[in-house]
Amino acid sequence: MNEGLVVFVRSIIGFFSLLIFARIIGKQQISQLTFFDYVLGITIGSVAASLTTDLSSRAWPHWIGLLTWASLGYLMEFITKKWRYASKYIEGEPAIVIMNGKIMEDTLRKMKYKVSDIMELLRNKSVFDLTQVDFAIIEPNGQISVLKKAQYEPLTAKDMMVAKTSAGISTELIYDGKLIEENLKQLNKDKSWIMTELKKQGINDASEVFLATLNPAGSLYIDKYEDHIKKVTDIGDYKGPY
Amino acid sequence: MRNFLVKSIPIVTLTLFILIMLSGNILKRPLGKDDNIPETIQSIMQDVESEKWDKAYKRTEQLSNSWHKIVRRVQFSSERDEINGFSMNVARLRGAIMTKNKSGAYMELSEAYEHWEELGK
Repeated sequence: MNEGLVVFVRSIIGFFSLLIFARIIGKQQISQLTFFDYVLGITIGSVAASLTTDLSSRAWPHWIGLLTWASLGYLMEFITKKWRYASKYIEGEPAIVIMNGKIMEDTLRKMKYKVSDIMELLRNKSVFDLTQVDFAIIEPNGQISVLKKAQYEPLTAKDMMVAKTSAGISTELIYDGKLIEENLKQLNKDKSWIMTELKKQGINDASEVFLATLNPAGSLYIDKYEDHIKKVTDIGDYKGPY
Repeated sequence: MRNFLVKSIPIVTLTLFILIMLSGNILKRPLGKDDNIPETIQSIMQDVESEKWDKAYKRTEQLSNSWHKIVRRVQFSSERDEINGFSMNVARLRGAIMTKNKSGAYMELSEAYEHWEELGK
């Protein structure tokens, strides 16, 4: 038995099975995962690891384990999407821990959170003073959402009665020296337009550009490969290998 | 076409993986003239029973060669312990036949057959 070869083949099976199952289960961001989602991910990963390297048992039972966990994960997601009642039970619901500036002790006790935990979560949200908080809500993923009292909210353009136009989302026109013609067409621009813009900045060819983006407001951002920065600021606070 | 590929590639990939993982039961069956393990075990048992030790030794060598061929086919779908168990039985069987130990040879042959039955299950 060539153990190296067997592990290699099993790794391919585990890797691509995991990739396919992960795509089927969903595309939630890590920050949106609930505690159970974490456990699910860890367990599926652990089963995939056993499938790969545990040669004392066949790959098949491990793969069935992987399939079952992934299917149950998918089923849970489907149920919680279709049935709000079950969703409340399975995923939990947001809980108000600070209401009108007052800490809800009973809710804290039920959620098994200490005041120090809440303070830590608030600090993570750049809130260091409890008097600024109007509402604080613990989300099912353990994160806190904070609504500050009106007087502590930052001043906005609307407050100042200033009209502002939306900058919109930038679109890549050149990446890694290559022109993305699809995006140019989408923005009703052509190759000659971008070349003229590049020439204005002393660039003769798209291959000199690392990234060029354009936002709907019309502002063009260009980053060349040659940055001409002689002294790069080092933000490291102690010496290391690099 | 793109939609078809998006769906068919994972299905084909998973089907291929399942076939590899379940191929043991099929690939352990004889595919040539010299890789019939249960038949060879039976023949060795008969040789041991009639105390034809030279013949039994030759057949044990044949069993060992057949086994090496089959291991290459079933290694991706079988347990390492079953494979190693069978290899150990063949080694001990060789020793039992060399010392003309009838009961030892029977024990190894029976255990080897059991490992064979469990292989790829």
